[in-house]
Amino acid sequence: MAGKPPIGKPDLNRLRVRFGKDGRLAYLGHLEVINTIERSVRRAHLPFSVGNGFARRMRVQFSQALPVGAASCCEYYDLYLTERTDPDEALERLKHATPAALAPTEAAYVGGRLPALEAWLTRSSWEVRLLGDGGGFTADRLDEALNSLRAVGQIDFMRGDKPRSIGLDNTLVGWTACDGAAEGSWRSIDLSLKTRSSNLGALRPAVLLEAAFATEALEGAALDSLRVTRTVQCHEDEEGSLIDPFDERLLVAAP
Amino acid sequence: MRLPRQDRFAQIEPLLGKVLHPARYLDHEWGAQEAQDGPFHVCMIYADTYEVGQPNLGIAILYNELNATEGISCERAYLPWVDMSALMRERHIPLLSLETSSPVASFDIVGFTLAHEMVASNIVETLDLAGIAIRAEERDEDDAIVIAGGPSAWNCEPLSPMFDAVLLGDGEQEIVDVARCVRDARSEGLTRKQILDRLSHIDGVYVPSLYEVVVDETSTRWGYAQPLPGTGAPRVVYKRCIPDLGATEPVAQRMVPYMGIVQDRFAIEVLRGCARGCRFCQAGMTYRPVRERPASQIIEAVSEGLSFTGYDECSLSSLSTTDHSQCEQILSELHERTRDLGVRVSIPSQRLDSFGVDMASAVSGSRKSGLTFAPEAGTQRLRDVINKNVTDEDLERAARNAFEHGWRRMKLYFMMGLPTETDEDIVAIGDAAKRVLQIGREVCGRPRKGKGGVSVSISVAVFVPKCHTPFQWVGQLSRDEVRRRQQLLLQSANDRDIKVSYHDSDVSVIEGALSKMGRAGFEVVYRAWQLGCRFDAWTDQFRYDLWLEAGRAAGYDLEQVAAESFPIEAHLPWEHTSPGVSKGFLQREWRRAIDGVTTPDCTMTSCTGCGVCQTLGVSNVIAGDRHGR
Repeated sequence: MAGKPPIGKPDLNRLRVRFGKDGRLAYLGHLEVINTIERSVRRAHLPFSVGNGFARRMRVQFSQALPVGAASCCEYYDLYLTERTDPDEALERLKHATPAALAPTEAAYVGGRLPALEAWLTRSSWEVRLLGDGGGFTADRLDEALNSLRAVGQIDFMRGDKPRSIGLDNTLVGWTACDGAAEGSWRSIDLSLKTRSSNLGALRPAVLLEAAFATEALEGAALDSLRVTRTVQCHEDEEGSLIDPFDERLLVAAP
Repeated sequence: MRLPRQDRFAQIEPLLGKVLHPARYLDHEWGAQEAQDGPFHVCMIYADTYEVGQPNLGIAILYNELNATEGISCERAYLPWVDMSALMRERHIPLLSLETSSPVASFDIVGFTLAHEMVASNIVETLDLAGIAIRAEERDEDDAIVIAGGPSAWNCEPLSPMFDAVLLGDGEQEIVDVARCVRDARSEGLTRKQILDRLSHIDGVYVPSLYEVVVDETSTRWGYAQPLPGTGAPRVVYKRCIPDLGATEPVAQRMVPYMGIVQDRFAIEVLRGCARGCRFCQAGMTYRPVRERPASQIIEAVSEGLSFTGYDECSLSSLSTTDHSQCEQILSELHERTRDLGVRVSIPSQRLDSFGVDMASAVSGSRKSGLTFAPEAGTQRLRDVINKNVTDEDLERAARNAFEHGWRRMKLYFMMGLPTETDEDIVAIGDAAKRVLQIGREVCGRPRKGKGGVSVSISVAVFVPKCHTPFQWVGQLSRDEVRRRQQLLLQSANDRDIKVSYHDSDVSVIEGALSKMGRAGFEVVYRAWQLGCRFDAWTDQFRYDLWLEAGRAAGYDLEQVAAESFPIEAHLPWEHTSPGVSKGFLQREWRRAIDGVTTPDCTMTSCTGCGVCQTLGVSNVIAGDRHGR
């Protein structure tokens, strides 16, 4: 369980919260989500801890950034409290103080010495609906394109003005694709995708699919838009076992 | 053409993944008024991007007032950034409101905030994107009534052809009166013309179409406006003025944006108006008299606002917060209440004296990033001309005090191009910065490696003469002369620990021209928009060449327009809309400026005869005691 150390002192209470990101709020950026959650915590009047740095920020750590436009049912933050509030009550107060599309769904105390969430949660699962058209816009052709990318082993792409690249050997864990129902004039493909992140980077579904549609396999197919939802985030240990952030081994029972 | 009221979010949702900062278009913020039952609908617009417009306290106040009124709902709209507006035009999607994603052209009233002159082309763009006829005279009977108001409404003539009505002064009650008037007139089946006639009888409401522009020997080339015969419209429209700010709702800002906005904090207006009498300052003249909220109200409102919004910063907003007679008590109490919550209290500007430094110290605690003072001019002579009642000793004492309190960075605001300014005044700006730096080095010492030492930043704006000020008659410094003086300043402020920044002289020329022109200036604004001018307050979008071209096409040299001075007796283009400050007072202040004679602050001495209190039937409302400060 390597990674960034937790920010809280050991005597603080570390409340882990699972929340979703849904509807139009899927278009919030990571910093916007963080600001919104921090303000929600203040509105919930929980006894949050404040750091001693220059800016005196709330002690809270978030899981990995979700791409702008992607929805999720499995985002997390660890909030450090100076007093132990009953987790069910804390959850209720947070629900009432948070915009519905970012509403928390689960809360429990975890051990103070666990690694920070961002680096610890290394595995993600995604459900992606692709809308597009053209003769080659089929699940089989997408499957073929993804296999060709995997054979190359790397994607070069632009983020803003800056060139970036990401290796696929470690980050692309697997996928299944099937043709979906048409939506209006658009054809659809449903893709289930599993990814792994590390210090070297995280694979974003949109980057993978943009690269896929630039391959020969999808020539003649046009991608109009994506609907991306993150469905799982968990830790993968050295043996390859997956550990949920609310795994009972991580939880701290009430004294 | 009036569009049907329907939720069209589904049309812009597919665009969100294709534009910068989609959070601009999402709505559903915490505190937004989602229930918009109407049946009478108003849309308030700040014609710039969401992050620029959302912090505007004026819109927040009007939004709350309207939504609290039975039968009236109010939504917001902002101007989409160029990427989004291009996509919307491509897909024939009109400008939509935020709360219900309804077409702006479906509303009963559409209101614009005139925050500054450079918003002009954006208002044309907003109307065009909304599908509302740009010129008021071209609107259909049932089209929205388009109104405007705000700090730059005092010379609204160059924009007035776009507005059915302009609201002057404090909008709290005025906006409700206007909305009710339009609603009732509509239900009575009145024509558009009859509605406008009725609006012109509401205090503070100016209806441009009921006035004609007359150019004669008493006027400038822009003429002056007088009521059309038989309309019954007042010769001079005086502003509306709330007599007691303490009687209004103190927590105006209840909405919490998702995206970072330019002033991302809870703000409360602690006082309105300023009577210091700086002769260059339009707000100092147009927001009179001074009305303070009592300390107890401010403290309770801050607690409530922070609790409701979840903000971790609070701004005590006004034209001169440290002039509040109970400032010390307010800051001390707020510090006590927010100490353990990581909440920061900020005040927008510091007075240039020890009290200002003490107050800045009270809000900053141990976090001393930088301190800002505004001497405005480099020499005592010029500070007397502009009635900035501070001395070199005040600046030096305040700087020493600040360095002793632990500040290391000092920012000083100045202006360039003030009336009677000479090269000596420019050089003195650099000298003042050097003196402050020297004091800092005396107090803090000089570090060996250049880090952690003191530094001074000077920011120099180009003076733009504004209407309803004692400097309204003067011409603006030419662009070439501004650039020469900027170079002179750079030479005089020649220390590596002094950083100099100054405003773009091109933008100032256009701002100056828009501040001076009369109704005929609309032709320039319209042509500039046709040529592609948008977001002129954004450095990377501003196109000086296009503005000059628009001016030429309309028959004006905009550099000459900005530089033009007016005779002091002339009938000016904006005299029919008045904040209550008398022309005689402004003329007297102009003469005193030339003589270098200062005028005191009436909240600390006695009445100085500006005329506001007598004309509007109001007076200064001071919660504590300002005398002897």
